[in-house]
Amino acid sequence: MFSDLRVSFFLAVRGILRGSRGSLYLTVLIIAMVFTNMIFMPSIILGFIKVAEDQIITYQTGNILITPHEDEAYIEDVDELLEKVNHIPGVLRASPHYSTGVTLRSKGNTIGTSVVAIRPDDERLVTDVYQKMKDGYYLADGEKGEIILGIQTSGHKDENDDMGATLGYLQAGDPVTVEFTNGVSKEFHVKGIIETGSYYADQGAYITWDELESVYGKDINKASDLIVKTEPDAYEPDVKTQLYRFGVREKVQTWQDILTEAMGRAVQNFAMLNSITIIVSLIIAVVVLFIVIMLKTINSRKQIGVLKAIGVEKKIIINNYVFQVLILTTIGVIVGVTLVESMVAILTVYPFQFPDGEVTPVVATSDLINNTIMLFIVSLIAGYIPAWRVASEDILTAMRA
Amino acid sequence: MIEVENLTRIYNMGKVTIHALRGVSLKIQKGEFVGIMGASGSGKSTLLHLLGLLDKPTQGRIILSGVDVKTLSDHQRTRFRLKRLGYVFQDYALIPELTVEENVYLTSMIRGTPKQEYINQTNGILKRIGLSDRTTHRQNELSGGQQQRVAIARAMVNKPEILYADEPCANLDSESSRNVLDLFKQINKEMQQTIVMVSHEEWHIGYFDRIIILRDGQIISDGPPPSINQGISRGYI
Repeated sequence: MFSDLRVSFFLAVRGILRGSRGSLYLTVLIIAMVFTNMIFMPSIILGFIKVAEDQIITYQTGNILITPHEDEAYIEDVDELLEKVNHIPGVLRASPHYSTGVTLRSKGNTIGTSVVAIRPDDERLVTDVYQKMKDGYYLADGEKGEIILGIQTSGHKDENDDMGATLGYLQAGDPVTVEFTNGVSKEFHVKGIIETGSYYADQGAYITWDELESVYGKDINKASDLIVKTEPDAYEPDVKTQLYRFGVREKVQTWQDILTEAMGRAVQNFAMLNSITIIVSLIIAVVVLFIVIMLKTINSRKQIGVLKAIGVEKKIIINNYVFQVLILTTIGVIVGVTLVESMVAILTVYPFQFPDGEVTPVVATSDLINNTIMLFIVSLIAGYIPAWRVASEDILTAMRA
Repeated sequence: MIEVENLTRIYNMGKVTIHALRGVSLKIQKGEFVGIMGASGSGKSTLLHLLGLLDKPTQGRIILSGVDVKTLSDHQRTRFRLKRLGYVFQDYALIPELTVEENVYLTSMIRGTPKQEYINQTNGILKRIGLSDRTTHRQNELSGGQQQRVAIARAMVNKPEILYADEPCANLDSESSRNVLDLFKQINKEMQQTIVMVSHEEWHIGYFDRIIILRDGQIISDGPPPSINQGISRGYI
């Protein structure tokens, strides 16, 4: 058995090394391209999902989002809840948001939006919004009369970059009038403009908690939501369990829960797209390898007949071609991995620019392994069938070819 | 060594039925150098293919070294060819991707011969046929005569019980043919090698111990070379 495989391998290596160079390079190139195609598209999709994950965690929900029960508008006794949450193992910091509808007016433009009251010192520990100041500065605790606007609310210099109604290109220091739902109208100065790449953050407007309390003329001890940053090594579902265990009665969702809720359908569609890409790639691989081996075996019919005549068993002849395919596939996969890694390296330096941020391909090890295994399986089939057909031919018929 | 009884081979090619061999019976002893001759279509290659287990008879019996080959499975026939028979074909039939020495020791590898042993055997036989300086050459770097000598080396390396040669000089010039036939004769004499060779060249008859002449699938003459003159004069060859 081992001796037979050794002979098959011996013949396969000679067949490849001393066969047609053009055919060898072309076959390897096609396999490499097929492999690249199988890996690259999913890596871009993974990159998209990674961007969505990062943006949700960094600018929107933190690692965990606590929201009121469905039949309630706000989380009550938020200070008490904050105290509790901040002491739960795995929690780094929680930051409350109070969101209320407003009308913003400036430079003759009016837009309706929500303004979010934050506690800037807490917020700095929970989100990275403060690091994304395009103009001006971030808020500080206790500040009044200052507002921060997202770029999609303030507006771009080139309005073609705006994704909706804006205030017409405001900059730090510009005045903006804010009309609250309780009838209070107040003039603010734009303290800073943020540009995160996340539409959710970039269409927002932010004021301090103290400002909100002054607008309402009372202490505000409730929140629309509480965003929670966990310790770097914490596993969010465990922290979620801890939150419930420590008596948090509100709705607790990890970022994964939210992503699934928000992008579940999209992820399903991406998965389907992935599958279609992989199936088409595999069909191309099967057809190409089948044709290559078919041509090789047809051109070698006489030689196969001779081998059988001098006592070489059919399985040795078939395994010879199967080994050839496996060797070609191995080289193709190595070239493919090199191509993919090169493309990933280039696209990490020059990422794709999308409205929701910069997308770089993310190659999952499991995709590499799964696709390599699938490619090898189809290669085996594509190599075996034509080799079996020709090797099964009658000796004299093959020798007369 | 070789015993054939009532060997018949019929080919059905569509509506046409060809009787390639019609009840051939013969015996070949160990160490004989037998030439099978006859005009084109006489059945000589068909007989060789049947004796070499490359084809199966429609009817009749072949006994090689005491083994009734009819009882062998396909796998056993392959092993029989590998271990006990040697072949030299008209067009050399070397594997183009292999070097001279690789072509020669391929069957030894399959037989599971230890590497050092088959390397020594190969070097020995290549030296004997005068190709020890061509061991790493490939088929396209050799003349026709050299290729045929490599094919003989391949057939002989495992010391087969019977060596079959199917018009081995058909593609060679007269000098190369003479060299190849001399080599066959030398192997036959020195090693007591049984050789069965198909030929249609009149001048080859001097090399054979015995000549079997076929016509229309039947033996019309079987004997030592002198008696062949009659066959030739009657136009059988």
